[in-house]
Amino acid sequence: MSARSVDAGRLAYYALNGAIIAFLLAPIAIVAVFALNPTPYISFPPVGVTGRWFVKFFATDDFMVALWLSLRVAVVVLLLSMLIGGACALALARGRLPGARFLTAFFMSPLMLPAILTGLALFQVFQLAELDRPVWGLIVGHTLVAVPYVLRTTLAVLANFDTRVEEAAASLGASPMRVFVEVTLPLIRPGVIAGGIFAFIVSFDQFPISLFLVPPKGETLPVVLFNYMKFDLDGAIAAASMVSILLALSVVLLLERVIGLKAYVKL
Amino acid sequence: MTANRLTRRAVLSAGAAAALATIGAPVILHAQTATLKITTWGGKWGDIMKAELLPAFEKEFKCTVSADQAFPFVPKLQASPKSNPVYDVLHTNSNEQWSSLDLGLVEARLDHKKIPNLADVYPYAISDKIVGVSIFTSAIGLGYRTDKGLKKPTSWKDFADPALAGMRGGYIIPVNSLGQCHLMMLGKIYGKGFTDLDAAYKALEALKPIKLVDFTGQMEKMLLAGEVNMGVIHDSGVLRYEGQNQPIDFAIPSEGVMALEQVLNVTPGSKVKELAYAYIDYMLRPDVQKKLAETVWYSPSNKKVKLAPKYDARLFNTEAKVAQLIQPDWKWYNARKDEIDTRVTRLLKG
Repeated sequence: MSARSVDAGRLAYYALNGAIIAFLLAPIAIVAVFALNPTPYISFPPVGVTGRWFVKFFATDDFMVALWLSLRVAVVVLLLSMLIGGACALALARGRLPGARFLTAFFMSPLMLPAILTGLALFQVFQLAELDRPVWGLIVGHTLVAVPYVLRTTLAVLANFDTRVEEAAASLGASPMRVFVEVTLPLIRPGVIAGGIFAFIVSFDQFPISLFLVPPKGETLPVVLFNYMKFDLDGAIAAASMVSILLALSVVLLLERVIGLKAYVKL
Repeated sequence: MTANRLTRRAVLSAGAAAALATIGAPVILHAQTATLKITTWGGKWGDIMKAELLPAFEKEFKCTVSADQAFPFVPKLQASPKSNPVYDVLHTNSNEQWSSLDLGLVEARLDHKKIPNLADVYPYAISDKIVGVSIFTSAIGLGYRTDKGLKKPTSWKDFADPALAGMRGGYIIPVNSLGQCHLMMLGKIYGKGFTDLDAAYKALEALKPIKLVDFTGQMEKMLLAGEVNMGVIHDSGVLRYEGQNQPIDFAIPSEGVMALEQVLNVTPGSKVKELAYAYIDYMLRPDVQKKLAETVWYSPSNKKVKLAPKYDARLFNTEAKVAQLIQPDWKWYNARKDEIDTRVTRLLKG
């Protein structure tokens, strides 16, 4: 193989990677330009740099209330989906349940249904039960679509799980509970945490389900942004998007700092 | 152990009672105060409603108002039990009120005796083209850039000027009632009338290339950004920028403007109907109408409203001005909506 062909191959490799990165980052770049541009509409090239849209975003009560509600709901959904998804994965992979494949497909089914239908169906259930639209109903809806992510990532870990480690611990006298806490749990943790991060992001950005389940004066950020866009399409929307992106990134970085996600990159 | 000594059982009982009282208190309060469930717009409309008008209504009528700003309203109403609807008062544009009537979700006719202010509205607000009452209207006409050397449009035909190719803005017709109004207007201008769909389709195709948007807010921004030089828009979408040095203006074509009505109606299964009627009456009060009209540039329906000069000059608030409003026949349009959606989607594809 000549040096020339190697260089051409490497160039093509870099070009392809550059194109993929540009494709992935272009929407964020456009949002950033819009968020920092002083004009109340998308214009290119930008005519200046301003922080007024960020000020407007943080100074608007509706946005702030929605942001905190979205964050609180997402944290609860993260915890619930890790608990439910992790437990389901263990039961499906290790429980020798009859119809385990069917049950796996059943638990994954919320991802196959259009989320807007899930939202509408849950809304109808709550209305028929005369519960109106409680916040916990919103959490239930989000958890429903978040659990499959934890289930899938945990099942992936369990597929490569070496059960002999548990057997060794048991043979050395550890109780079943101790085996679970000190052996099983640490080994499945990467899958549960990776799924939990997905669950957080899915909940924080959730729109179709929230559309039907948010109560009056209790709208989440994506719903508030959608309604705002219908009447006031200005840079505050872009500022809100940038804040959302940075928040999601912060969560990932925080988890990386606290529990070292690098160790789980193999997932 | 003495009789007065605190026992574990007593503490637990007291704790449980306190917890129940805490949980139950809102329910008890709720039972004492009627709640009116309504839909309302966001934006500046929503701001003034939340900050001033709804608290004033709650105080006067000793109730609480649960105002839903999150679309879509009609599917939510449809999904809730008719005997216990999710809303008591439905606020939508006129087209959705007609489809709601077909589904039995709103009253066919309001009780005029319970809404005294209906006596003071312009006839269009309670005409046979309206289900409920139109509390405000906007005028759908042409917005245009004033800095591009364009002559102020005087006819809907000016929108078809070849010089505007690729620089005119319309709507994705299946999802936007302004686009639907424009389609009917094309039938009137280029055919035998508002229901001449063949002429309307032909005229719509002749407008290509045309930039299409979902919401009027997007049309505003396209005009402001100069992405289009002329677009179909309601007057409030342009007039709201008055005094901000923006190079845009609104034109009323000589053939007339289509009315974009803000309609209120009561749901048949509402458990607080008296309150619902009181709310509609409240929204028609001259002072409430003036406040909202001057906040969002909507034309008030109540004839007794006296607007400040700059609003008085532009809004439709006299018998002569409202005579220019053309009310679409939404019953006719909705009956053909699926067929129209399919046709226009194919026609404007690409």
